[in-house]
Parts: sequence; C-alpha cells; structure tokens
Amino acid sequence: MSRLEAKKPSLCKSEPLTNERVRATLCVLKGILTSSYGPSGRLKQLHNGLGGCVCTTSQSSALLSNLSVTHPILKILTTSVQNHVSCLSDCGLFTAILCCNLIENIQRIGLKPTTVIKLNKQLLSLCTSYLQSEFCGCRIRVDFSSTQTLLCLVRSIVASKPACMLTRQEIDHISALILRAFLLTIPENTKDRLILGESIIVPLKGQRVTDSTVLPGILVEMSEVQLMKILPIKKTDAFKVALFCASLSGDFPDTGEGTIVVNSGVSLENAVLDQLLNLGRQLVSDHVDLVICQKVVHPSLKQFLSTHHMIAIDRVGAALMEALSKVTGTQPIGSLGLISPSSYGSIKDLCTAKFGFKHFLHLLPNEATICSLLLCNRNDTAWDELKLTCQTALHVLQLTIKEPSVLLGGGCTETHLAAYIRHKTCNESESILKDDGCTQTELILLTDAFCSALESVAGSLEHDGGEILTDMKYGHFWTAQPESPSVVNWPDLLSRCGCGLYTSQEELRWSFLKSTHHSFAPQTCLPHEAVGSANNLTLDCFTAKLSGLQVAVDTANLILDLSYIIEDKN
Amino acid sequence: MVMACRVINKRRHVGLQQLSSFSGTGRTLLGPVKSSKFIIDEESHESMLISSIVRLLESLDLTSAVGQLLNEAVQTQNSTYKTGTSTLLLLVGAWSSAAEECLHLGVPISLIVSIMSEGLNSCIEEVVSLQVPIHNVFDHVDNTKTFSGLDTCSVNLCPFLQIPSDTGLLKEHDLKDVASPSLTIYNLSGIPVGSPKLFRPQAEVEANKNILQNPQILKKSLLADNHCRKSILIHSRHFNRPDSNQWINKPEGFLEQRGAATPHTYRCNDLVELEMGLSHGDHNSMKLVDEAVRLQYQNSSMQQGNCSVPFMFDISRIFTCCLPGVAETFSCVCPGYITVVSISNTTLIKELQNQPIRIILIEGDLTENYRHLGFNKAANINTLLESVKFQPDSSEERWTNNVLQVLIKFDVNLVLVQGNVSEYLIEKCIQSKRLVIGSVNNSVMQAFAEASGAVQVTYITQVNENCVGSGVCVNFWRSIPSDVIDRINIMTIMIKTEGINLVTVVLTSPLPAQMQAKEDRFWTCAYRLYYALKEQKVFLGGGAIEFLCLSHLQILAEQSLSKRNHVCSGWLHNTSSWLASSLTLYRSTVLKCLANGWHKYLSTLMYNTANYSSELGASTVIQQHLQNATDSGSPSSYILNEYSKLNSGIFNSGTSNKLEQIPSVYDNVTPKIEAWRRALDLVLLVLQTDSEIITGLGHTQINSQETEGFLFL
Repeated sequence: MSRLEAKKPSLCKSEPLTNERVRATLCVLKGILTSSYGPSGRLKQLHNGLGGCVCTTSQSSALLSNLSVTHPILKILTTSVQNHVSCLSDCGLFTAILCCNLIENIQRIGLKPTTVIKLNKQLLSLCTSYLQSEFCGCRIRVDFSSTQTLLCLVRSIVASKPACMLTRQEIDHISALILRAFLLTIPENTKDRLILGESIIVPLKGQRVTDSTVLPGILVEMSEVQLMKILPIKKTDAFKVALFCASLSGDFPDTGEGTIVVNSGVSLENAVLDQLLNLGRQLVSDHVDLVICQKVVHPSLKQFLSTHHMIAIDRVGAALMEALSKVTGTQPIGSLGLISPSSYGSIKDLCTAKFGFKHFLHLLPNEATICSLLLCNRNDTAWDELKLTCQTALHVLQLTIKEPSVLLGGGCTETHLAAYIRHKTCNESESILKDDGCTQTELILLTDAFCSALESVAGSLEHDGGEILTDMKYGHFWTAQPESPSVVNWPDLLSRCGCGLYTSQEELRWSFLKSTHHSFAPQTCLPHEAVGSANNLTLDCFTAKLSGLQVAVDTANLILDLSYIIEDKN
Repeated sequence: MVMACRVINKRRHVGLQQLSSFSGTGRTLLGPVKSSKFIIDEESHESMLISSIVRLLESLDLTSAVGQLLNEAVQTQNSTYKTGTSTLLLLVGAWSSAAEECLHLGVPISLIVSIMSEGLNSCIEEVVSLQVPIHNVFDHVDNTKTFSGLDTCSVNLCPFLQIPSDTGLLKEHDLKDVASPSLTIYNLSGIPVGSPKLFRPQAEVEANKNILQNPQILKKSLLADNHCRKSILIHSRHFNRPDSNQWINKPEGFLEQRGAATPHTYRCNDLVELEMGLSHGDHNSMKLVDEAVRLQYQNSSMQQGNCSVPFMFDISRIFTCCLPGVAETFSCVCPGYITVVSISNTTLIKELQNQPIRIILIEGDLTENYRHLGFNKAANINTLLESVKFQPDSSEERWTNNVLQVLIKFDVNLVLVQGNVSEYLIEKCIQSKRLVIGSVNNSVMQAFAEASGAVQVTYITQVNENCVGSGVCVNFWRSIPSDVIDRINIMTIMIKTEGINLVTVVLTSPLPAQMQAKEDRFWTCAYRLYYALKEQKVFLGGGAIEFLCLSHLQILAEQSLSKRNHVCSGWLHNTSSWLASSLTLYRSTVLKCLANGWHKYLSTLMYNTANYSSELGASTVIQQHLQNATDSGSPSSYILNEYSKLNSGIFNSGTSNKLEQIPSVYDNVTPKIEAWRRALDLVLLVLQTDSEIITGLGHTQINSQETEGFLFL
C-alpha cells in the first residue's frame, strides 16, 4: 500500500547576504581561515568528537575538506576554493580569505550588484594584465640554470606550514629533497613534448625528519619474513617482470545473483588453484624473474614460483600500479588466461633496503622518471601535514616549469598590486570608465574596497599583533613590533620586507597600511640584479596565485549577485 | 551535518592545561622507584595494577583531541623504542606549563615555538659531551663475572643507601585511592631498592652538607674540578665551537692538562657494568636479560666458530613465557622454546621425548575453514549431496583425516601453528602420537625454520618433503619443582633443535596481577640493552644529561640577557618579520621557562627516588648544584667530576677492587633524545593550535554538554 504525502512548499529567502546569521557564519569561517594563514598561522584540531583520529593542520585543503558547511552561500565559497586547490594545490587560503574580504568590504559600501560586478571585472583585468606584463614589479622570471629560485619557492611553501613541526635545518633538508625528487622526474632526453614522471611518497612515520631521503625507482614495502623467503636474489643483467592487476588469490570470479550448485566431489577451489598453477607454469616457461601482483597471490602459487626461483611480490596496492607499469614498461595483466609474450616488462636491478623498521624491495628501472620520496616525521598528524606539503610543492614545481615565473611572497605582491591599482584608477579613471556607465565616485569606492581586501589578505600574515606597514617606493609589506611609538626611526625598527628583497637601510618612507589611502606609483620593472643577489626570498607560485585571484573575484561576484535562495524542503 | 568550532586559546590555553593534567597522572611512574597504581573500573569493579605509562594511558579516558595526540605520541615512542615513555609524559607536562608561563608573560607564540625548539636543539648538541662509548663489551664476556654474582654485592655495597623503611607510608599520597590490601601489594612488588640511580642524589646530599659546613671543602671540590676537566675537552663539541663563550676557553692551562694521562675517561667495555647501569634499579629483570644475552652469545660463537663477524644482540629471538602463580625465584632463562601445554599431552610427550622428530610450520590457522588473507569466499555456492553414495563423515572429519594423512606421509610428529588449531584435530593428533601447538609467536616460527630447515606454509596441502624440518627434540621442562607446577595445573615442555637461535625467558610471579607488569619491565630492560649495544654508546644517566641541559639553558639565558644585540636570526624561519628582530628581547625569558621544565622534571625524578620528603627539598638541592655548576665554569666538567667522585671516593672505600667501575648509571641515547623531541613537538603543536573543529556533531549533542564557547557553521 502506498501512501501519498503532500509536497512541502519550497522555501524562498530574499537578499541572503543581509541575513544576520549568514553574516555571522561567514565571519566565523573567515576567522578560521585568516588565523591559519602563513608561516606563523595558528593550527586547527579537526576531529569528530567521538574519538576519531585528530588532524592538526593549517592547510586549506585539509581544512575545507573536513568542514561541513550547511549554508548555500558558504557552500559556494568552499566549493570554488576546493576546486581551485584540487587543480593548482597552492594558494587556497589566499583565495578564500580574499573572497571573504571582498564580500565584506563591498557589502559595506552598498553599491548596486551590477555596478560592483562590472567594476570588479575591470579591476581584475587590470590586475591580471599587470601581473602578466613585462614591466610587472612583483614577478621574477625563473632562471633554470641555477636551483636558487626553485629552492626558494619550495622553501617558502614548506616554511608556511607550521603544522609540519620542522626546524630550520629540517626545512632546508626537506626543501632540497623535494627539489631533487622533482628533478628526478624530468626525463633526460625529450623529443618534442616533455612528459614528467612521478614522485611516490613512501611513509616512514616515527623517524627523524632528517632521515628522509629520495631514491630513484620504486620501493615496495615487505615484511621481514617475506623478504627472508625471497633471498638471495640471483643477479642477472635485467629482470623480466610480469605485472598483475588481477587477483591471484584463488577467489571465484563474481558469480552474480543466485546460487551455484555443485556436486560434492567437485572442488571449485581446487579448480581455480589448478588454473593458477597453469599460469605459474607458463610464467616459468617464459623465464619470468619477478611476479608483481596488486592483490593477493595464493600461497600455493607463491610456493610454486619460489621453487622455480622466481620472486613473487603481492599486495602492492592500487596506488603503486601506475608507477610500476611505467617503470617496467608494460601494462598490468588483468586475466588468468594465456599471457601474450609482449605483456612482460623488465627492470634493471632489484635489491633490498631497510629504512627505520621497514623493509623494502627496491626496483631500479632501466630508464624512467620515477622516484621515491621516503618521508619521515615524528608523529602521525605532522606526517600527514608534511605529505600534503610535499605534494603541493611538487605540483607547484610542475606548474612553474609550464609558466616559468614566480611572484614575490610574504604579502609583498598583494600590497604592491593594491598600490598599483589605486594609482592606476586614480590617474586613468576615464579610460577605465569609458563605456561602463559608472560614475567616478563608484569607481573610487570600489577600488578602495578591492584594494583594502587585497591588503588585508597580506595583513592576515601577522598573528601576534604586530604593526603592518608599507613603503612608498616599492609598495612592499613590512611588519613592526606592536604598539610602536608613532615617531620612530623606522630603519632601525624594521629589518626586511615580507619577501626579503629589500632591507630597511635603503632610503624609504613608510606608512601604516591601514591609513594609506593617498596613491603613489610603486616602482615597476624589477631590476634583474636585485633579484640575483638576494638568496633567501619568499616566493609564491605564479599560476596558482593568479588563478586564486581570479577565482576569488569571480566567486565574490557570484555571491554578491545572489538575490534569492530557493530551498527544496522535500 | 553541523560543524562546531571552539576557540581554545582565549585567555588560558585549554590544550596546554589538559596536557599538564594528563601528565600529572603519570608523575609517580618516573624513575627507578615507581609507585604502582590501581585503576578501578566503577562499573565492572575490575581493577588493574599499573606500573608503566603505556598501561596507564591504555586505561585512561583520552577521547579529547589533546588526549588523543598525547596517547599517539606515547604509543609511537613505545612502539619505536619500548623505553622513554615516562620521560616523554613528564616532559610534556613540564614543558606545557613552561609554554603557558611564556604566554602569560606575553611572548608571541611563534617566538615561543622557535626559541624552545632551538633551545632543545642546543641542549641535544651539548649533551654529546656526556656520551659514553661502548667498546667490545663481548670481549670479556666469558669471564666468570656475571650479573647474578654481582647483584647481591651491589646492594650491600652502598651503606649510605638507606631507603626509609616506611617508603610505603611516605608515598601515601599516591595510594590514597587504593584500598588497604594494595599496601601489601606495593610492598610485594619486588622492585629492588638497590637502585644505582639513587646514588647520585644521595651523594649530592652528602656533598652539599659538606659544602655548607665547611668552605674549605668547597675549594677542594673546585680544585678537583680542574683535575677532572680533561675529559670534557675530549668529549665536548661545544668546546671546539668558534663562538664558545668566554669561560669555557678561559685558561689555556686546561689544554695542557689534557695531555697529562688521566684515569677518568669514561668508556664502557664491560657488559655487566653496562647492564648494571641500564637496569635503573630493576636488577631482577636485567639479570634475566644478561643471561639471555650470554646464551645468545654462546650460541652464536658456537655456530660461527672463531669467525670474525661481530656478535649482534638479536632481540627478536628472545621469547617470554609467563607462568603466573609460581614463586618469583623460579624465573629463569633457557635455550630453545618453552611453552605451556595442557596436561592431556603427558603421555604423548613421554613417547616423543629423547628422540629426534620431524616438524612442520603453519602460518595462519590450522582449521578447516581458514583461508589465506585476501581470499573471498563466495557465499552462494551449494554443494549437492549425491544421495547414491552415502557419506557418513562430516566435512570436518574428512578434512582432519586429510591432515593426518599428510602428517603420516611425511612422518611429522610436531606441528607449530601461528594461529588457532581445530580442537578436533588436536585430539585426533594426540591419538596418533603427534603434537600440535597453536598460537606460536612469529619469531619462534622463524627460529625453527632456520634451525630445522622447515619452510613455513599456509595450507597443509602445500607440505612437501622440502617443507619438513628435522632433528627437533621435545622434552618435559622441569626446572620448576613438580609440586609447584602441579598446583597450578599446567605442564611445561621444551622444544629445541641443534643450534637454534632462540632463548626463552620464563617469567614467574606469585600474583597474576603483576604478571603483565613483570613482562613489561623485562622488555624495557631488554630494549635498553639492545639500543645501547646497537648504538655503541650510552649517556651518563641518573639525571646527569637533564642536569646538563638545565644548566646549559640557564647559561644561554644569561648570555642572551647580557648580549642584547646578539643576532640569532637563524632561530626563526621567517627572518623578515618583526618577530626576528624582537627575538633577542624574549629569548632569555623563553629559555628560562624551558629550563624550568627541566628543573621540574629533575625534582620529580629525585623526589620519586624517595630521598627527599618533598619536591621542594629536591628542588633546593638541584638549585645548589646548579649554582656550583655555573660557578665551576663548565657544567659538563662539573657533572663528570661529581661522577668521578662517586667512582673513586665512595665506592672504592671498603670494597673489593673488581667492583670499582660499577656505579655508573646509563641512559640510551637516541630513545632518550627522541622522547625529548617528541614531548616538545607535542607541546608546541598544541601551543600553536587556536581552535578545535568538531565535525559531524548535531546541535543537540553539543547542547547536552556545554554550549558555551561553541560557534556553529
């Protein structure tokens, strides 16, 4: 008997952003994000309150994937940031904070959404064209003849993740390892297209960070007992490999629904095992040296293979399969039927290695761009954070190969860009407004909202109440002790700008970032020699930051444009 | 799903306070004299006797986020090193208070983090000077001197070691939640009072008395200091550092003194001395470890002849067999595998003994339904019984017969199984004179595989001639008088084969409640020795390294006060922030707080050793020593000097010559340092955390607790 229930009417809310609760939750979200930003950001403990594992983090990817937000407006925000992070790995917090700042600032000035969107787009295009232009004052071309810039870039990323719990030496060690791992993935001879390899992160928790290392090839973890069984490995010049993704455990294939009835004399298990042993015989006659299986290998088959001096490795897991197939130069075998001779691969060498308490079988490829990054950290939560950081850094390096530029980090790009935009709209307002139908006042109001949103992202780097300043020549970001006297000799109090490019000993004028509203033209065209001499710069990924800026402005536009939320209550 | 978020760092840091309070529960478990705890379950009225940090945390409710992180840190330390957990827990407490103190003083969090972690780094570099190298301890191991012979002497040897006879009463506060019978248990706990660790504080008391009474002695001790300083010059890396501070490279005369031959270079080349130093007062357990190592050594030298491969202590080839209900004195060490089997096997063992038998090894279970890991049994297959052929046997019976046929075919009389064994099969096997033992430890299996030539298999059908081992003997093990063993209604047997690299340590305890603790203590001692031998170095123990850290940090703090402008930008990741320039401002404050953590740790340690009536008393003594160490100019030489006084002065008086090297107390190097690092890492991780985000909780669930301070998204 079916019962019919009347449908509930949909719920429609107008002007969602004016709602007090929405503003409050947005404020909480912004608070969580800004307090996590940067190298001295505060950490968040994420857990389910029921004894599940505790994740201590300050990274956007970990934070956002664990936050369960309910309100549609917050969902739009988190989804677009998560989307950005999944594509480009870096600058997630920057994007999210900038978006929150824009919404907050623009709401306050109370312009019509259509005007806001138009002008925001104008300002965004000013930003992107400046950042991509030749005379941009906060962008550095990457010089691939030395590792210096790349190392600075990696170090900036690693240093900005305090939950990794690394000391300075450890940051240097890990940064160098990441760069080495990345360089190992670049093929030596390329024809027309560069295809990068892969760095596999191998966990080794509980050890010292400085025990981490990079090895070419693949490490397959094995128990000591297993390893003792396959030793000694006979030496040949190359090992012929059969790589299986099908289970060799002797399971029955999925029989679907219904039952199968067999006679009591028939043993299906034995039938499957016979098939496996036939497969084993074929492997023997094909002179295979090494059998690698993603899933389980039946103990009897293992015994059979080892009596024929073959090494069988099972349960390597799905994550390693792609790399294994690259290293051996073959496709995984998916069936137990006849194997064509072409489906065997090979590796150059095979040896055993012990790191910490784990035993590994080390597969050395003939010529492939696969390496293993053996990553150690003292506790689980710090290890997880370090792993995410390494993945981000490796991805950023890939992006930098594609687009060989980096941006100045440490807040300098944001303040410099804001100063540039302020100056531009102040002096060239006619050309910006020419066919928009917006007034100059509207432009000035919005520019101020836009630029102070950018500046407060930079200001979020400071968590201990320090004063935030900017200089009137380069438009860079500086911090000073809290409650600094108003009349001081700034060069003595300040040391370096956020990115580390300039020192306070130059003839500069400073003003508090919150109070600067008179525009000045920040110096463009970064002199090449200035960049070359500085060796400890804080740098940001160009592609990720540029995209973050675009995503933030677009998402803010979308949210500001919302006039109704219609909720289906059924 | 609703997510709640709680700010935990408003005025007082809740996380740090939680760490302190968790740490407080383990305070009495630090050091050689541990006060056991009773943990009583209110609901089931079950109780447990606890004497180690790991067991303590197992029984505490650690569902809070901070508690879980703490538990995780302790578990990792334990699984990696099996030692250093009490150090870890206590330092977590001491340093979380220190970090909180810094917060109160208004130090920015990032600065606390970088100064503390660099401060500890500096300590770790400093304590290298107190490392003692271990050299060829097995060269003289065949000598008659053994641990057991020494044990009694060493206790008598310390006339000044007067543990107050009412120790139990003194520590009443630890037992306040314990019912009256516990007091007896406490006294029975069998922890020997003859702890070498006690020597140091005792000696210090004496020394201090002297100093207070007679200023001339103070001078003398300072002179003695000079006399001993050469050893620092040998060990200290700090001395060679270019930026080393003014008083270390003060008079150049020291360097000349170094040339003069001096008898006090610390090195350890005697196994018994090493074991004594690492026993931390637990002589009974260390005695067993000593015997086990000696057996392993003898075995390996027999196997290799005079081969030059250096002997490695293989801890995986030591197996413990616990016999609760047997008097403590029957604990012993034997080569081979000793295990408990049911009385019903008596006749079988009688027939099997005194003859070599053949063996197979099964990994996994030996039951009809067992399948190897990763095998998925299809649920929808029915076996059709053909009515024509009537089969009376059940499938289990058929399977058992198959197994028996294999055993008969290969003439196997002993089956060792890693997992469970079907009861029916065991019965059948007894009838056909075959012994099947289940739940055998992995390393035991491995040892038998190596010694007998057997190959471990998963299924009985895999067995072929190559898998069968031979030459194994099964015997009754009757080192424990039969009247004792009969009383507890078990039977022990010994299985061994020629040259097997396996040593069984039989642990006995009259009280079943103490069995677990006794086993834990044995393994702690074994792992201490294992790491010492593996690393070929130990630290001077008994608080020496911690004291050096304390005085080193105090000196660093003083220095940074005097040299305000000294730039130590290397201590901060982000050198461009204002924090880098104000580092010098806070450096001395934070280092002092960190030093206070060491101070607290040391006074707890000394108080626990029962020499002081209060932590305050212990603290005063530490303070005096600290003053002496600072005055002496080089804390590490001061410590070495104090040690040598113990060596030459007190110990040699009235004792025989062969014991002159005994009194040192040793600590492991890497496990200790990693425990420090882990502790500080945890504290700093919690310190930097400003909010706790709880996912997947409904409003209602939080309402029932406390809504205050929660924000919802």
